[in-house]
Formats: sequence, structure tokens, C-alpha cells
Amino acid sequence: MTAAEFQHLYWRIGFGSNPNTINLLPKNRIHVVEQIFVDSQSITPLEIDLSFMSGVTQKELKDNPKLAQKIRRESREKLKNLNVAWIDRLGQSKELLREKMTLFWANHFVCKENHVIFAQMFNNTLRTHALGNFKTFVKAISKEAAMLKYLNGKHNRKNQPNENFARELMELFTLGEGHYSEKDIKESARAFTGYNHDFDGNFRMRPKHHDEDLKTFFGKTGNFSGDDIVDIILEDKQCAIFISTKIYRYFVNPKPNKKHIEEMANVFFKDYNIENLMRFVFLSDWFYDEVNIGVKIKSPIEYLVGMSHIIPIKYEREKDLLKIQKLLGQTLLSPPNVAGWKGDKAWIDANTIMVRLKLPSVMLNNAMISLKEGDTDISDDLKRNYLRKNKGKLPFRITAAWDTFLSDFENVSSKNLQDFIIQGSINKGTADYLKTLNKASKKEYCIQLMSLPEYQMC
Amino acid sequence: MDRRKFIKNSALASSLFFVPNFVKAFENVATNQLGYKRLVIVQLAGGNDGLNTIIPHNNDLYYNARPQLAITKDIIKLNDDLGFHPSLDPLRSLFDNGELSIINNVGYPNPVRSHFRSMDIWQTASGSGEYLQSGWIGRYLDQHGEKPYNAMEMDEQLSLAMKGEYFNGIATNDYKVLYNTAKDPYFKNVLSHYNDAHLSEHNLGYLYQTMIEAKSSANYIFENTNVKSSSEDYPQNNFAKQLKNVAQFINSGLDTKVFYTSLGGFDTHANQNKKQTQLLSQYAKSVSAFVNDLKQNNAFENTLILTFSEFGRRVKQNAANGTDHGSANNVFIIGKNLKQAGFYNNLASLSDLDDNGDLKYSVDFRSIYSTILKKWMNVSAKGIIPKEQKSLKFI
Repeated sequence: MTAAEFQHLYWRIGFGSNPNTINLLPKNRIHVVEQIFVDSQSITPLEIDLSFMSGVTQKELKDNPKLAQKIRRESREKLKNLNVAWIDRLGQSKELLREKMTLFWANHFVCKENHVIFAQMFNNTLRTHALGNFKTFVKAISKEAAMLKYLNGKHNRKNQPNENFARELMELFTLGEGHYSEKDIKESARAFTGYNHDFDGNFRMRPKHHDEDLKTFFGKTGNFSGDDIVDIILEDKQCAIFISTKIYRYFVNPKPNKKHIEEMANVFFKDYNIENLMRFVFLSDWFYDEVNIGVKIKSPIEYLVGMSHIIPIKYEREKDLLKIQKLLGQTLLSPPNVAGWKGDKAWIDANTIMVRLKLPSVMLNNAMISLKEGDTDISDDLKRNYLRKNKGKLPFRITAAWDTFLSDFENVSSKNLQDFIIQGSINKGTADYLKTLNKASKKEYCIQLMSLPEYQMC
Repeated sequence: MDRRKFIKNSALASSLFFVPNFVKAFENVATNQLGYKRLVIVQLAGGNDGLNTIIPHNNDLYYNARPQLAITKDIIKLNDDLGFHPSLDPLRSLFDNGELSIINNVGYPNPVRSHFRSMDIWQTASGSGEYLQSGWIGRYLDQHGEKPYNAMEMDEQLSLAMKGEYFNGIATNDYKVLYNTAKDPYFKNVLSHYNDAHLSEHNLGYLYQTMIEAKSSANYIFENTNVKSSSEDYPQNNFAKQLKNVAQFINSGLDTKVFYTSLGGFDTHANQNKKQTQLLSQYAKSVSAFVNDLKQNNAFENTLILTFSEFGRRVKQNAANGTDHGSANNVFIIGKNLKQAGFYNNLASLSDLDDNGDLKYSVDFRSIYSTILKKWMNVSAKGIIPKEQKSLKFI
């Protein structure tokens, strides 16, 4: 396995690599990939301190509106903690692929929940099933408190059916638009009637609200339960194709390749085992084709977490990290709607491109991108002036561990730094310009590289 | 020129040059302006209580439903049935001059009472059961836009309303900051070396193209905006600042068709009167200053101002002297040559409410969008508003 292939793999299963990771691992593709799955065998739930809710009962909340309001407010605050804890996790976990897939599924089974306990439960359900069996996964999602609230499943009753979940189950979660009829939606919604959750967020079936009559769905008739409906949907190979396409566009190339996706769907349709599907992708020769390297536009989270893989970054204030996510257009736990973030080119508009290009210097170097060319340099006076002018004006309080960067990259020459920082090819003219830069400072050159359109690719 | 053609042409033209020329070529494309008619959108975020904004001062049902909350004093009566909240006094002259049309009971079928979701519906012009990933102004840009600055939002980031399938507007909370960022000498050097011989629609090409567009938009806005063009006194608040910026852009003749502004804080579940009084006053004073500004610069007759909120509030007040999320609400249209000024329609019945105790809608908000597109912007609503709507007669 070449270094370039290795980096490519690490960008897709995680958030990039640095010289340390590359030196540590075996170089044989099968070994490298197998190690990735071994590392992701374990499941470490994401858990923040939620003691503010301990001992609070449903009755208390009902009887005491003031307390209820206070709890709601605290819950929203805690949601911010959960957001930050999740981003920390992405940057530090050994369970790289599991975490990357959790992020992927969070934009597939899209859900927004203000009740932080339910939000955390939902997040951990994504994590638990991230590499498991897709059928079990869908059934678990259909019973999550957060999802029952978000898509009105808990309001879906025999006498008052609500089709919201049934529709999205097929349109967004399993089959894609156009592979079911309005009648299928109505009938399957009846099968999910009576789904509900208790105060703690555990699934509860309310039999008196469940419709026990016969339902006719995808040409079959029976007294189907919600789980039966999931089984029937997954009998359609379209589901394997739909999920494989989404995984291909996220992990391989935003431009779908029909032949490769068909191969994937054949593997997936056998048993809906997600781990096997991913193993097939990472072991396929085509995964490492040059056309697939550096063709993805990083999501804001990939961009941020990837940057901290190169230079460990500490946000001194939680609100800065939240603000940066907002400016970049992706705040975790707060998706735009049930369809999720569109991704790819949609990440980039005139505003977000300028934010992305400017952010590394703002976060890591007092907003300055050096301009050293050849032997000339802006004078130290000018630099001091600049820094004085900008002092106190910087919008964020961030500490960057440049020492760690310098030691990690000790054996990488400045000239070769771009091979680690940039994925894929560099525009010819830009590459020529980079040649003219004085690379005496590895730190400054790193910032320069991170301030390029090329740095947005992975 | 349609979007695909535009991308093709600019790619073709640009392959002849290296960037300095290319950037220039880009800046010169906008020779055929989009026309002079402009739309300014004001979004009242949080769900403004329409019933205490346009008050049914002659209706017992209103006073019975809101024992502590009904406005009883200083209502500005506009006719026998309806009147302004006292804070809207600065808009009185607009109403009297026939420059304001109030459309009552605007909403959509199966209303959603979540802020987030309902705002989504208003911004994407979708139905309550469908999810669109582009906004209505964005889709207008897909078909008719040439530059990001053809639609500007006065904020730090772009709302969904302004994002198309292929093309986006630009957000400029402070256009000078955008300009200063874009003119960083490092970016200038990168772009002056950038070789677009292989520019195509692939992702890296798209990034460079967006960077060039951002830079040229930032330049365009900065260089063409005459700060002195607005001499009117505006109130001191963020919303007024947004409108003042819009006035400067309009008075300076920028080629921007749509401006998007927002005033938040209307989610008045508790102690509504104090908060709403203050917000409506901000709204009315700022809009009044804005209209005067435009009038002084002869720009008012080419400007239409649309004010909406994601939903109205429940007819019955709650126990905390506030109101909970409701459904149908009023929409304000401000402009010079309105076909039907004053009240466009009557307020819906306060006795015939929906199951939640909310007003029933009678005008679909998408028919307002559609009418504005057709009769004001002079374009077809096809492909912009997903479902065909009937035209209204307010313009």
C-alpha cells in the first residue's frame, strides 16, 4: 500500500492521518483494513453529565411549570455540551470507522431532538448499529424516543393515523422516492400505530392504539407489525441499491459509478451486514483508483476535525466551536430537516468558501497568512504592527498545539509537507505559486496550504 | 441565459485566459441587468402574534379569548373591524397613502407548529408533508441569477430560502469584512497564478470558481456601494441596520434583485405585551425610515417589501400572559403602485377555528410568492414554486 493510498483510506474511514499513524501501521492492504475493523469492534457510548435530570419525575414536571421550563432550558444547554463532546470524540476515538459511520448514519436517519437524554440515546443507537445489521438497525431506529417524537410516530394511532414516519422510512431511510405507492404509505403507517415511549425514553407499545386489522403492503396481506413492514421493505433489492449508493457517494466518490454500486448492492443484499459491505469497499481495487482520491468536498466537520488531526486545537470557549460550525454551515445535532445536509457542492457558497479559506489563519495564526516569497519577507516591524492591530479583535479563543505538530512532522521536509496536508491534485498554477514560497517556517507553510481551495478536498 | 449555458460559456471564455483576465471577464458578464424591480423580504422570526398586530377591535370573541392580553388602549383603528397595534403608528401614513396591503389568514394546509419546520416550509415553498433542500429565492437564482450578489441576505450566513439547487445568493452581514477577507494578498496571489485550463464542473474547479465569484462579488459590492446614498435617520438596532444597508445598496444601484432581512424574538409564550410592543415598534420605525429613504432617492416605486412570519399564534391566550404557536397569520406588502391597498381580505372567523383553536388559512403563502414572481419580477413561477398557484390581485 502506498502512502497516498493509505492517506486516502484514512480520510474516508476517519479524518486523515499524520506521519505518526502512517509509520505505525503494516503496509499490506488486507492487514491495514482488517486492523481498522478490529479497532472498531468495541462500542464506546458517548455520555455527558446528565445529572440535572436525575430524580425528576414526570409528575413533578406536569405539576410545576416553572421547573419544567428550567429543565427545558438546561436540556438545551446540555445539548451544546453533547455537540462538543461528540466533536471531541471524533477527533480522539480509536474506534475510527465506527465513529465515521455514526456521523454518516446521523445524516441518514436524520433526527433533531431538544431533549438531551433522548438525543444522547439516539446518538448511541447510531453508534451501536453503525457497523451491524441494517435490518436490526432500522427496527431500532423506528423505536427510538427521539424519532418517535421527530416524525410524529407517537401520535400515530389507530383512530388518528400519522403517516410521517412511514413515508420517510421508505423515501429517505430505505428505498428512495418512487419505489412505493401512497397506498403503501397508508397501510404501513397502520402497522406502526401504538408505538410510543416512556418518560425515560424507553420504547413502549400501546396495544389499545395499535391497529390489529389486516394490512395490504407491497402486495402482501396480513396483520403486520412495524417490524414486519421493515422485513418486507428489505426484501426489495432496491433497498440494498439505495443504501449502497449513499455509502458510495459518501465514502468513495460523490459521482456514482453504477458498476461499483451494483457490486456493493450484491454484497449487501445477501444479509444486510454493514461491516461486510464496508470491508468489500475498502478492499476493492477501484476504491484506490486515482479518480476517487481527493474528489470529495470535506463536510465542515471533516474539515474541522481533520485540521485538528494535523494541529491539535483546543477551544477555550464552547461557544466558539458552536459559532464556527454555524459559520461553516453544519452544526451537529441540528440538521436542517429530515432530509439532512445535502453535502458535496452544497457545502460551498460565496460565504462558506471565504470562511473556510480564512479560518485556518484566524484559528491558528492570528489571522495572518504569510507572504514570504523567495528570500523576501515582510519586515518584522510590519508583522508586529499587524499583530498589534489584530490583537483582541480575533473572534475566537483557541490554543493550537504547534509543538505537537512540529514533533509529528519532524521527519517531513517542508517541501513534502503538501503531500500530507493536501489530498488529491493541486491546480497547476497554484502548484507553481507554492514553489515560489519561502518554506523556512513549517508552521507558516502549513497555514498557507490550509488556506487553499485544495485543502477543502479529501 | 440559463445556468448550464452560463457555466459553459464562462468556462469556454476563461480557457483563453489566465486568471487576471478571467476575473475581469467574470465581472463583465452582468451587462444585461435583471431589471429594476426589487424585492425586500422581512422575516419576523419566532411566530409573530398576528391578532395583536392587526387587532379585531370590534370583536367580543377576541377580548373573551384574551382577558389579560387583548389590546384595549390606543388601537389605531383602520376600519370598523380592524386596527393597528399602537406600535405600528409609523406605518399609518403608508396605509393611508395606499402603499400597504394587508393580507389576512395566510398559511398552508395541515399547518406545522414547529418553528423550525414551519420556517423551512415558508423558505422552501414546500407543502407541509414534503422536504425540499432548496429555497424559493435560490431556485429563482438557478433560473435567472448570474452573480451571488443578485440576491443578498443581511446576515452572517445564508438561509435555506437563498440556496438554489445549483446557485446561491450571498450573505453580507458586513460587506466591508467580506471585502477585507477576500482581498487578503495571499488569495490574490493564488488566484493570479491559478490556471483554469482544466476548469470544469468537477469539485476543485467549482471551489476555485466559487472563490473567484466571492472575491468579485465582494469587490463589486464594496466598490459600488455609496455609503452616503442614505441620509435618512434610522433607529439604533440591528434590524434597522440591515434595512439601512439594503437602502444603501438599492440607492447605489447595485444589481441585486432580492434582499433578505430578519427580525427575531417573536416567540412570546410569556409576558407577550411588553416584548411584542418593543419588537413591533422596532419593525415599524425601521421600515418607515427605510421607505422614506427610498422615496428620497426615487427608488420606492421599484421596491416591494414583503413581511411574513412562520406562523401566527393561538387565539386564546395562555396562563403566562402569552400565546402558544398557532397557524394562519397576516402578511404585509408595502409598495408604491399596489392594485389592492388596505385590507386585501377579511380576517377569518374567530368562532370557526381549527382543532387546535387556531385561525384557518384562506390564502396559501405560495400564491403570494407566485404572484410576486409573475407580476413583480416578471418571471414564470414554474420550477420556482413547486405547485401551481393562482395569482392574487394585490399588485
